[in-house]
Amino acid sequence: MIEVSALTVRFGGVTPLDGMTVTFPAGTCGLIGPNGAGKTTFFNVLSGFVAPAAGAVRAFGEDLLAMAHYRRARWGLRRTFQTEQAIEALSVFDNVALVHEHSAARGRSTRRRDVLGALEFVGLEVPPREPVATLGGKERRLVEVARAVVGAPRVVLLDEPAAGLPDEETQHLARVIKRIPEELGALVILVDHDMSLVSACCEVTAVLDFGKLIASGPTADVLRNEHVIRAYLGTEERL
Amino acid sequence: MPDLRPFLVLGLALGGVFALSGVGIVVLYRATGVLNLAYGAVGALGALIAWSLINDLLLPDWVAYLVAVLFGGVVTLLYGMLFGAPLAQRDPLIKAVGTLGFTLILLGTMSWAWSYQAHSLILPTTELGFDVGEVRVNGTQILGLGLGLAVTGVAAAFLRYTKLGVAMRSLANHREITATLGVPVRRVEAAAWFGSGLLSGATGLLLSTLVGLDIVGLTFLVIASLSAALIGRLESLVVTMAAGLAIGVVQAFLTPFDTVGPYRTMTPFLFAIVALLWFGFGQPRLSRA
Amino acid sequence: MSVADEHSTEVSVGGRPARTARAALAGIERPVAVRAGLVAVLFLVVLIGLPGLVSTFWLQIATNVAIYSIVTLSLAVLVGRVGMVSLGQIALLAVGGWVALRLGFGTGLPFPLLLLATGLITGAIGVLIGLPALRLSGLYLALITLMAAAAITVVLQVTNFPNGGSGLLGYSGARAGTVSSALHRPDLLASTSAFFRTVVIVAALMFALAAVHVRSRAGRAWAAIRQSQPSAIAAGVNVTLYKMWAFALASFMTGVAGGLLATSTGGLSTYAFPAQDSITVLAVVLMGGVYSFWGPVVAAVLLKLLPEILKNWGLPPDLLTILFGLGVLQVMLTAPAGLAVQVPKDLANLARLVRRRVAPG
Repeated sequence: MIEVSALTVRFGGVTPLDGMTVTFPAGTCGLIGPNGAGKTTFFNVLSGFVAPAAGAVRAFGEDLLAMAHYRRARWGLRRTFQTEQAIEALSVFDNVALVHEHSAARGRSTRRRDVLGALEFVGLEVPPREPVATLGGKERRLVEVARAVVGAPRVVLLDEPAAGLPDEETQHLARVIKRIPEELGALVILVDHDMSLVSACCEVTAVLDFGKLIASGPTADVLRNEHVIRAYLGTEERL
Repeated sequence: MPDLRPFLVLGLALGGVFALSGVGIVVLYRATGVLNLAYGAVGALGALIAWSLINDLLLPDWVAYLVAVLFGGVVTLLYGMLFGAPLAQRDPLIKAVGTLGFTLILLGTMSWAWSYQAHSLILPTTELGFDVGEVRVNGTQILGLGLGLAVTGVAAAFLRYTKLGVAMRSLANHREITATLGVPVRRVEAAAWFGSGLLSGATGLLLSTLVGLDIVGLTFLVIASLSAALIGRLESLVVTMAAGLAIGVVQAFLTPFDTVGPYRTMTPFLFAIVALLWFGFGQPRLSRA
Repeated sequence: MSVADEHSTEVSVGGRPARTARAALAGIERPVAVRAGLVAVLFLVVLIGLPGLVSTFWLQIATNVAIYSIVTLSLAVLVGRVGMVSLGQIALLAVGGWVALRLGFGTGLPFPLLLLATGLITGAIGVLIGLPALRLSGLYLALITLMAAAAITVVLQVTNFPNGGSGLLGYSGARAGTVSSALHRPDLLASTSAFFRTVVIVAALMFALAAVHVRSRAGRAWAAIRQSQPSAIAAGVNVTLYKMWAFALASFMTGVAGGLLATSTGGLSTYAFPAQDSITVLAVVLMGGVYSFWGPVVAAVLLKLLPEILKNWGLPPDLLTILFGLGVLQVMLTAPAGLAVQVPKDLANLARLVRRRVAPG
């Protein structure tokens, strides 16, 4: 589980995260909120790109913020980005192998098996030697997800993985995401605007608005919560 | 301890010119996101053109100087119009490397047309002068310092109080948003290119007189101005001016000391390195939205 | 070319049998092997045949081209593979030359060891210069290399190149007219042809060194850094370490080139390293192409052979400078996103925050 306590981020006169306190228990957890709510900022804190002004994050009992950012991958933190970052200069295989060689606790001997296994897990049907530069958006997205699940991930952060994907691909993605906690034992935090994806994958969901947590709990309840609906519709009333 | 007063005069004059060109660099950067590394080369070419107009075409001095300054503005504007817009959305590094290309074009033109032989261009203000105590101060030195101070003040006021200036400042932050507000982005940028080009031309004339008309020397003296601009974090004109003066004075003060004297031309670079390391860890205004 | 070269295990990829994957891997090998063969043949032709075909003068030019191809290679690795622009390679070349001369006059090291030592020392100096700067972003890194290069140039103008004099600097003004700052060649390499072949072999070794790096773990890390630093960090890459490694490699190679330059006819003087070269070398590297291994060779030809050909025809070499300037602009206008570290717009803030956040070590 991930316990976030009173997490606050400030820069340049803005407070993207304001006293966020929430627990992500297990399985696939959703994190939703209108644009600018602080979701990506939260991910950036977890990744170590942003230093919080206050607050703490404990992941599986360990103080995540105390680790140097590039070491968190070795600990088991994985992440995708809003604009997929599959490395064009490398092949599909090398893209995933890169994550494995820098962050997996397992060594070279298992690398090939782990990488091919990750590619199979996400259902990427492309020859592994294919350079990523030749792939389309959907396949690149899958490469990015493969990078996020290779090795022995403990926490997988998915930042709008379905953005720009048509329905059929989103459903495929949903199936992949659901298998991550089941088969790999990792905790997934999914940020997305596609509510059907969030409903399909996440048992519990937290909602951010203007940096503050406005709701959390079982996904179905949260999506019916009037404050949440109002936050998305952007009426004057705020908590 | 040798008498440093004449060196103070030299330093302030040179520093004033560093400040002058530093301001040109900062204003252009704030308006367009382009760090114009060709700044010195433009000035050098302007000075060479003035030299030819005076010595080959026998035109009156003031005409030649006017042409040099205007040339600086025009050729910089030309670059801005041709290459500024297509590169406008790119990383500041790419834009700066583009100006390196511009520098090479200018250097090649200069060495081809004028070769590397020494030329001499002395502004007539050098003959005027007076004594401050026991130290002789000539008109060019006063001009250098005075222009540096004056232009800093005028530019700062311009950016803050005039419509065009405010438009330039808002461009620095948000080009697209500024455009949607109805500001004629292209025209504002053109003004920035032209204005900084004029300063470049003036700098070239002053430096030719103070330091010598040497193609390579003038071109790479831009680095000294760049140092001043970096210390000002590519933002503050006043700090840029102060830094320019400081660099000029420190460099001049080192001259009479035998151990460090020969290394004094390193001064601007050392200042810049310290500034880069010091401020680099902060939030330099790097990218334009 | 990657870790996927071990014997394939019984894994199915997306449902297809492993054999198909392996067949796909093997199919790519053949054209690569053919190309490698052609390169090897060309290399041998140049190595063995060229000295017999051209005059001494042109052979010396060719030697110069080979030396500078090491420098352009180092810059191409930095710019093309890691996305770091350095404007200080020529200054490092001069430093390498200085170190080689100092070692040459001061110690009795045999030539190969001397080159190696020069490379290592220059590599260390490059890291020292680069280390504080490595956390700066693209433009600021370029500027600091420019500043460092300018500072080094000033120092070298004062200290000159060692010519056998005594003291730390090894320079004696009294000897300046009679003894050149040139490294003494071992007898085996005294002739122009022998020296040319030595240089070509050393250059080939440098290219091999670069190729090994690119195909290794470092190369993959570099590709990740060039694509997006935040993404690289999120993948577990220690960005500072790998950037330092690239800097060290580039400085090492440039140092070796400096040692070779010190050994070439006439030795070294400050005139050998005009300030303009720092910009021109970047220009030709960009024009030659930063991503291939032929690019640096083309760049060195542009830089050191073309001017001589022009002079031979009675044309001013300054025209080339103008051409290079236009070339740079053309490359900038048409450069794909990967020329320098191109952080996508929505991650631009991230990069700034990364710099702020990076803790020492």
